[in-house]
Amino acid sequence: MPSTWWTRNRRYFMYVVRELTALPLAVWLLWLLIEIKRAGDGPAGYRPHGSTAFVVFSVVALLFALYHSVTFLSLAGVIIHLKVLDKPVPPRAIVLTMFGLWLLASVVIGAVLIGFAR
Amino acid sequence: MTTETRKRPAYAHLFWWFMFANGGGVAALFIPVHVLVQGILGPLGIAPVVDRHYDTWYSILGNPIVKLYLLVLISLPFFHFAHRLRYLLVDFGVHAAKSVPAQVIFYGGAVVVTLVTIWVLLTTAPISFG
Repeated sequence: MPSTWWTRNRRYFMYVVRELTALPLAVWLLWLLIEIKRAGDGPAGYRPHGSTAFVVFSVVALLFALYHSVTFLSLAGVIIHLKVLDKPVPPRAIVLTMFGLWLLASVVIGAVLIGFAR
Repeated sequence: MTTETRKRPAYAHLFWWFMFANGGGVAALFIPVHVLVQGILGPLGIAPVVDRHYDTWYSILGNPIVKLYLLVLISLPFFHFAHRLRYLLVDFGVHAAKSVPAQVIFYGGAVVVTLVTIWVLLTTAPISFG
């Protein structure tokens, strides 16, 4: 198969984009790790990341992160099979629960990140 | 191969699939809010964020629950990423990505990230409940 198969139609292209969400997210997490490490170097030299380039990269990473979240959580309805009172839970309910959990987690973590600031 | 050996559950397979699936879940549920708040709102000054000042960041990093959470947040997604990128290479026709050395490199990379994260979290701010 030619290596350009993924440019042939939109579905293939979006599949490759979905798989590639791994790269910016991995880089962003490593950035977070560096920010944690910097806190160990003492207050004098502490400077959080804040350059324009970093913010632009974060915007791009956020788009990829959202794409990963929507595609991955939507798949939960296919992957997770649950029975409640001997009745299978409809995939739609599982997907809705996952999106609800995503919202809840985002609100809680956002509140901690902002609430513990000064 | 005897019937008995064939019936034995593939624990290694199970383990890597567990890490892949949960890594994907952790990434899906937790990464966007961190990128939005710490990568955009904080640096732009739209909202006060805990990592913008040394004292608040150092203080929250000492919390053992925060340390455990950050370990899960940073390390688990790498097992997911490793799997995805390895199979993407396979899809692009790189057959070597299926080999054992490739598996060692990709999943070993995720293990290395995990170990480095543990080291950073343990050496950065002493554990405190304050």
